[in-house]
Amino acid sequence: MGLRIHTISAEKEIRGGGGGRSGGILAAMGSELGPGRLGPIDESLSSRYSEWIREALEEIPDNFLITDPSISGHPIVFASRGFLKMCGYPREEVLGRNGRIFQGPGTDRRSVSEIREAIRQERSVQISLLNYKKDGTPYWVLFHLCPVFGKEDGRVTHFVSVQVPISTSSRVLGSGPWRNWSDIVGDSSIMREIVFGSCRREVCLDSVGELSRSLPFDSYVDSDNRGLEAEESCEASDSEKQKAATAINNILSTLTHYSELTGKVVTGKRCSSIGIVTLSSSLTISLGRIKQSFVLTDPYLHDMPIVYASDAFIKLTGYSKHEVLGRNCRFLQGPNTDVEAIRQIREGIETAQSCTVHILNYRKDGSSFWNFLHISPVRNASGKVAFYVGVQIDEDSKDDHRGLSPEMRQLGAVGAVKVAVRSSSMGVGSSSKS
Amino acid sequence: MVSVKQFDDDYCLLKQNSGSEPSKCSGVPWRGNGNGIPFYCLGTEPVRGNDARGNDAYRASSCHAEEEQSLLDSLLLAQWEDRAWKGPLKYDVTNCEMKFISGSRKLIAQLNEEWKSTYFPELAEYNVLQSFDPFKFNCMKTFREELLFCVARGEKAKSELITSTILPNDANLVILNANPVEYGHVFIVPINFYNPPQFLDLRSLELAAQVAIDINNCSFRVFYDYHASSRVNSSYFQACYFANPLPVELVPVVPVIGNWQERGIHIFEVSDYPVKTLMFKGKDNFNMLVALVSEICSSLQDRQIPFNLLISECSTKMFLFPQVRALSADACNLSAWECGGHFVFRARRDFDPASEESLVKRLAAISLDSEGFQAVKQMSCSIASELSS
Repeated sequence: MGLRIHTISAEKEIRGGGGGRSGGILAAMGSELGPGRLGPIDESLSSRYSEWIREALEEIPDNFLITDPSISGHPIVFASRGFLKMCGYPREEVLGRNGRIFQGPGTDRRSVSEIREAIRQERSVQISLLNYKKDGTPYWVLFHLCPVFGKEDGRVTHFVSVQVPISTSSRVLGSGPWRNWSDIVGDSSIMREIVFGSCRREVCLDSVGELSRSLPFDSYVDSDNRGLEAEESCEASDSEKQKAATAINNILSTLTHYSELTGKVVTGKRCSSIGIVTLSSSLTISLGRIKQSFVLTDPYLHDMPIVYASDAFIKLTGYSKHEVLGRNCRFLQGPNTDVEAIRQIREGIETAQSCTVHILNYRKDGSSFWNFLHISPVRNASGKVAFYVGVQIDEDSKDDHRGLSPEMRQLGAVGAVKVAVRSSSMGVGSSSKS
Repeated sequence: MVSVKQFDDDYCLLKQNSGSEPSKCSGVPWRGNGNGIPFYCLGTEPVRGNDARGNDAYRASSCHAEEEQSLLDSLLLAQWEDRAWKGPLKYDVTNCEMKFISGSRKLIAQLNEEWKSTYFPELAEYNVLQSFDPFKFNCMKTFREELLFCVARGEKAKSELITSTILPNDANLVILNANPVEYGHVFIVPINFYNPPQFLDLRSLELAAQVAIDINNCSFRVFYDYHASSRVNSSYFQACYFANPLPVELVPVVPVIGNWQERGIHIFEVSDYPVKTLMFKGKDNFNMLVALVSEICSSLQDRQIPFNLLISECSTKMFLFPQVRALSADACNLSAWECGGHFVFRARRDFDPASEESLVKRLAAISLDSEGFQAVKQMSCSIASELSS
């Protein structure tokens, strides 16, 4: 079935979503542009990717949007045919508008703020989201957002967001809190496209009255009382995740190709030198005090690259900083590295748990060492996982230092990283509309 | 002093150099798992950077970027992270969302749905409070997982970390707060907690402040709350890491002029803050700063005036928040971090709409009025003046 009910967490989710700041995904960027003003909207794509870009994008069958953060209101500048079909809006009602028009009362505020944060930090995010069609029907999508960077200045030119409908292989029977479920999944031929899917639904038992008090309804265009669905969350299957990632890659390569025509080349990847700049200087300073060998990796960037490497890590592995930044840690592995250890690491990361493994690693010169590796998720001020920290200990040089065992120094470094990262990215919130 | 001869891992025999009565000078045997407990001995000349802390060498808060994480900082964070990973924490506080409340004051709000305020004695309630006997007291049994390490004044010039099965009578236990308000939240509790002194005195303030110096991390803050309630034993401190500056630390201050400045002590009035607050700064004279603040605190305790103390910037700054006496039993005093501008909300419905206006009101409600504050200020100045002359 793949269907689980979490009543308690549902209540949390309600509260979590309930009072979240209003405004949609991209609302933080400013006010919307009216649908009539298409001048800068049209130019947004053609000036960078040439006149032919629209035709080329139309060839791509996936459901996706392209938005331009440099225009006030962060409006949609392109909507694919598949997307328009899915949401039921005509093109002219979508272009120039902000992406939040597809959200409704059941859209999880936390997911929305997660997306908003990804936009602010100019990074990718993949998340399940409840959207609404023009006729008001809610539907689940796997929302995959990815920034497009100008190669020359490293600035974000556009965001691409692919939306893969999430299917479910199971149906829920019954009444009460479930009654709206069939509305959500019963609809839509899109659901049938995809064979596998597992959905997790957080049931809400709160009364409608409770909800209307806590949800910022004024942020929605909705006039009817569809507040009943409240917050559900829905897990996409691996094939759906893959589908979204493939679509992103297709679109990025199309954009890259056409950008070459204008000479203003774009890329989906932040250059590593720019990537490290995104760590605030105060964070880098705090991290610099930690003398252990450790790296931070960014789980939101493609392939979880290293975004910070300590001097001791450079010394331990023999690589230089520019050789490790932007790369996945697997370059430390070699022919005799145990796959079981790698599996444990992956499992820890997938479940966002700390783990310790003994793993055979290789230095740049090819020599190997036993690495007593501790990996832990590190959360930012919003309570979201911002990085994973990996602290290495070379087992051959294990000795106490100032009375602290290597294991204690390792955890001491983890704690210091957690304190430092918690100070970063703390936002200003208010009860007013954002 | 006490010298210790070790019998085996589990038990130690005390041998005293002086012939005084045993109850005074004996240590508390640690009968744990045989490995002993991490025991941090504060150096008689704690170092800040490479300078010994003499009267002159005691320098302003450093937290230098190049400076290595200190031994005590590593120890506390390591032990805390270890417990966070496997141990008795009720929740992961780094999961909690935080934000600045919009407005000029940058007040900090944290959504922490599982938080519950704990006074230290609650933690130890299952211990036999009435018949406390240091010789039978078994830390491992009482605090089992919460005890992170011990700290006490050492005899060597430099601070050091040892493993000990014996704890001196003046040791302090650093105990995990299972309901943390921030990362690294601990209680610093005297080992003779169930004996007098019940209040803050020079020795205990000195020790807590020295811990903050040795931690040498600007995120680290030490707190003391005096609620003026006879039921609450007030002889312990709390501490944790606040990644961001507390709002009160950013508010402009107005110096109060006096002869104490010649001795390197500065007294400030925090201007334009909802709680009328005094700030004491001793860049160059740690001993005097501690003597002054502890003397002021004792005087407030004598008068049963509730107050909070916030020690920041590696013990170079101490904020004193005198509070009005709670009129009823239900009226609760604020804790030191609340006075500093950090608020914990247990429900999303309160967290999201929290406004600067409402929080300022909450702070102002516990502040002394001008007259009361002037009295505290004058008292502080006369103590400072006396100490300086």
